[in-house]
Amino acid sequence: MLHSLRHSVRVLSTGVALSIMLVAAPQAFAATPADTLVEGFAIDDIITIDPGEAFELSTAEVTANSYSKLVMLDPADTSKVVGDLAASWTVSDDGMTYTFKLKPDLKFASGGPLTAEDVAFSFERAVKLDKSPAFLITQFGITGDNVTEKAKASAPDTFTFTVDKPYAPSFVLNVLTATVASVVEKAVVMQHAKAMTPSDDYKYDTDFGNEWMKTGFAGSGPYKVLAWRANEAVIMEANPNYYGEAPKLKRVIYRHMKESSGQRLALENGDIDVARNLEPGDVDAVSKKEGLSVTSAPKGTVYYFSLNQKNENLAKPEVIEAFKYLVDYDAIGATLIKGIGEIHQTFLPKGQLGALSDNPYKLDVAKAKELLEKAGLKDGFTVSMDVRNTQPVTGIAESVQQTLAQAGIKLEIIPGDGKQTLTKYRARTHDIYIGQWGSDYFDPNSNAETFTVNPDNSDEGKNKTLAWRNAWDVPKELSDAGKGALLEKDAAKRVAIYEDLQKKVLAQSPFVIVFQQTEVAGYSSKLKDYKLGPSFDTNFVYPVSKE
Amino acid sequence: MSAPPLQIGDNLKPYSRDWLLSEQPTSRHQARLGRAYVIWRRFSANRLALAGLGIIVLLVLVAIFADVLAPHNPVQGDLMNARLLAPGTSGYLLGTDDQGRDILSRLIHGSRLTLFVVVLVAIIAAPVGLIIGTVSGYAGGWVDAVLMRITDIFLAFPKLVLALALVAALGPGIENAVLAIAVTSWPPYARIARAETMTFRNSEFISAVKLMGASPFRIVFRHVMPLCLSSLIVRVTLDMAGIILTAAGLGFLGLGAQPPLPEWGAMIASGRRFILDQWWVAAMPGAAILIVSLGFNLLGDGLRDALDPKEAGQ
Repeated sequence: MLHSLRHSVRVLSTGVALSIMLVAAPQAFAATPADTLVEGFAIDDIITIDPGEAFELSTAEVTANSYSKLVMLDPADTSKVVGDLAASWTVSDDGMTYTFKLKPDLKFASGGPLTAEDVAFSFERAVKLDKSPAFLITQFGITGDNVTEKAKASAPDTFTFTVDKPYAPSFVLNVLTATVASVVEKAVVMQHAKAMTPSDDYKYDTDFGNEWMKTGFAGSGPYKVLAWRANEAVIMEANPNYYGEAPKLKRVIYRHMKESSGQRLALENGDIDVARNLEPGDVDAVSKKEGLSVTSAPKGTVYYFSLNQKNENLAKPEVIEAFKYLVDYDAIGATLIKGIGEIHQTFLPKGQLGALSDNPYKLDVAKAKELLEKAGLKDGFTVSMDVRNTQPVTGIAESVQQTLAQAGIKLEIIPGDGKQTLTKYRARTHDIYIGQWGSDYFDPNSNAETFTVNPDNSDEGKNKTLAWRNAWDVPKELSDAGKGALLEKDAAKRVAIYEDLQKKVLAQSPFVIVFQQTEVAGYSSKLKDYKLGPSFDTNFVYPVSKE
Repeated sequence: MSAPPLQIGDNLKPYSRDWLLSEQPTSRHQARLGRAYVIWRRFSANRLALAGLGIIVLLVLVAIFADVLAPHNPVQGDLMNARLLAPGTSGYLLGTDDQGRDILSRLIHGSRLTLFVVVLVAIIAAPVGLIIGTVSGYAGGWVDAVLMRITDIFLAFPKLVLALALVAALGPGIENAVLAIAVTSWPPYARIARAETMTFRNSEFISAVKLMGASPFRIVFRHVMPLCLSSLIVRVTLDMAGIILTAAGLGFLGLGAQPPLPEWGAMIASGRRFILDQWWVAAMPGAAILIVSLGFNLLGDGLRDALDPKEAGQ
């Protein structure tokens, strides 16, 4: 006993001495290489970097910096579209045929020439693969059977795109700025294609390189992706064959870091140049620290939780309404999302055409209890929520858990990483899902479509909108209103339709929208021209340079 | 008639000190109580062990009277007005966490979870280890070989890693965490019980019981196991600190108790986000784990000294 005590005292004192030495030693100041941008970023939601399949927020940034599209949003004024690969374009008189003329001498990162053939192939591939984002293109009446006709190369430098209705041209062009319209190199992709056995679900005998492209790269953007390792890093290198202005930094590394405090420490120590997932407290601290700066940009992203209508309790209209009264919006806005978002309850984010910003719901437990009693659930019920284990969603989920408990609803939180919760959500096996929705393009139709369109509510439904994921059988008048607005050329009338639609969706839908995101990044003042864009696929890193 | 009374057991005042320490107990009852008294005397001579016992008794009392002691509701916070308050702010002795919940109340209610985990693991793992160890030690031969190789397999994995794998397979939750810890903590008990059993196996009293026709079952359960108990109790008590740490570790990784349960490990996990600016959110539950683990270790140390059969013979 005595011996062992003496031994432990010795160990303890050695430990104390060692730690004092560590604290006293001057801190070595790490620095990132001068030609490399290192970002700390929670990238656990990346499940593929194939632009024909990817539909995740972090992936949008990677593909935006490594692939090119025909057209892109003007970074200076996002209400306009400018040519990226396309030098110019014309719209036929009937408003159905779009002809794009490509810039001369375009090349892929591999050095191979980029022709209209590759553009057509990229559209064909996205449509035939029919992954989550394919609906962006198929909504123009394009199917696997007619895609080679509707999206084709009429000359080596000319691409024609035919839609089924005379949509507003700005709508069509806005959609073509989405990730799914990225141009991939046909030769490289098909070289890695895997043979498939055609079946009822998948009619083609090749996977169009989808499996290889999950981690592979065949693009032409300012950077080329060298590697993506799940929950570890994305590494990009400057593309020497880029046709535009050459990127200023040779390499960009996204390091997977989940914790805000970890990112802040790494930023302060110089281990990373940019911290992307700072929480309110850390944003404050970083903005006050010398040598570090903070930049922010409102995003077209709303955070919501949604009630799966397959759950019979959650399907009752009174319960849906009760949930909207059981969120402490004011407290969440003042604390959990301070500086990173604003309370917002309608489905169109502020800044988009026709967005309403009235927030009629407030925490009202008495009212919610009344509604639950009406629904025959006076004693409450138990329900689960799938929560990606990052902030701020975890904090909001815990807050909602407390307010729901006041009305007798017991919420079980099921934590998981982004991949687990998303996969479950897309399979429609959740009860409640909490997450964010970023518009696919800068047009109110993007959110109107995903929140209010669900033509086939069966598990086999092809149009996998958020309404479908939550098995919400949308009332026909709502879906039709959104579709009508799409063809409405009169801007004022279009706004009126969307405003009315938002009010109805706010009242009836199983979506409880909590706030709109403001994206914040803390960065080292050594960086020049570091900016966040208005959407996740406009967070460009190629203009960034380092002192 | 006038001779002084002899100092033998039946003349002493029952339950007096002399009666307990008598060299010639007149009943089994007296002998047992006497032995317990000796152990207690040896135990209580060790101040540190007493401090450990005090901590554990306090823990049990806090767990029992959590509802009375906690000044606030442990799961309902005041997000708007009481978020991340520093310790000592009026009404919040140890401060509040990021959901505006009183940390002291959460620690008090968390003591129940800690005890729940510790007791359940002990109840599951100790008997399993004891049975496997004594059976394999007494039976020998291929039974011993098979049981000990199984034990080897479990011992080959680091405890926490095996527990992690199990919880990942079973799904997160405090019951599964208990199960996982129990599954990973029985092998050392089996080893100890086997070693003890081997020392008694060929002793004379076992041969005597055998000659009287006792079945192996009876020998193991009635004669071998009680002798293994004291070393097992010491080992289990010493392990409890480890069990608390493993449970807290699982909670920290999000695989133990789920929100809003005030499990101490999970509380540290949610507090680590604020560790740079609001240190108390993580530090308070950390201190609670430290104190309770220390308590169990001191208690176990004291028990080992008190129960040591070699010293008992002196």
